[in-house]
Amino acid sequence: MTDSQSKPRQNPASVTASQPQQSELWRVVVLNDPVNRMSYVVMVLRRVLGFEEERARRHMLEVHESGRSIVWTGTREQAEAHMFALQQWHLTAIIQPDEG
Amino acid sequence: MKQVEIKLNISAVAPLLDVIKQAADDLRDTLAIAATFPEEDADFTETWTQELMAAQNSDVRELLGLFDSDFFTEGSISIDSNNCESLLRGCAAVRIRILARWLQEVPSEIIEDEDAPVAEIPDELRLPFAAYTFLDQVQKIILEHLNPAVSE
Repeated sequence: MTDSQSKPRQNPASVTASQPQQSELWRVVVLNDPVNRMSYVVMVLRRVLGFEEERARRHMLEVHESGRSIVWTGTREQAEAHMFALQQWHLTAIIQPDEG
Repeated sequence: MKQVEIKLNISAVAPLLDVIKQAADDLRDTLAIAATFPEEDADFTETWTQELMAAQNSDVRELLGLFDSDFFTEGSISIDSNNCESLLRGCAAVRIRILARWLQEVPSEIIEDEDAPVAEIPDELRLPFAAYTFLDQVQKIILEHLNPAVSE
């Protein structure tokens, strides 16, 4: 079974080079998809991000109704790890700078 | 999660396996969902993609493994805590591919309706639709056993 919780950075040098401000915050955004059932998305958010059921369900509904939900904000490296784990579960996830 | 044994109708499921295997073949060298990358660096994206591909292939193999020769003698599949997460992901990957390959023209309200009347599905798409729905039901059973309180 694959470890979906985190992915070690494979090429840290390249990331550091394009990330001049280490303290900058990044968002992990989950986008809506037409396939995965709601309970699946809730389960994935709980597994990957450690959410409680209610919080995971809130984000799932936001994805379903608004097409996207910011599920996590923090360091870029951790955001990448979450994004990778979400992609392993076949959710469409992106990261973007947190612009406040 | 306790071990769950699901008894299936072999003659009903066997035709669906052809569709599932075709979708699985597609997924050998293609991600179910095109990945977005945090970096434009080619080496980084290559590594990222390869790791997703390796995980996807492992999950799809686990799913196909449910329907080995034992399935055709016993007519049942067995799910437990060792394979449930991999099977959930494998089902998701194959469903995404079935949708992309065969069901693009089917209206989303039918795709999303578990009880969609078969008559509304064109003849040539009924098998892929049945495979898509079958894997959805496998996921549903696993999710219900992982969290009995879960509901849609």
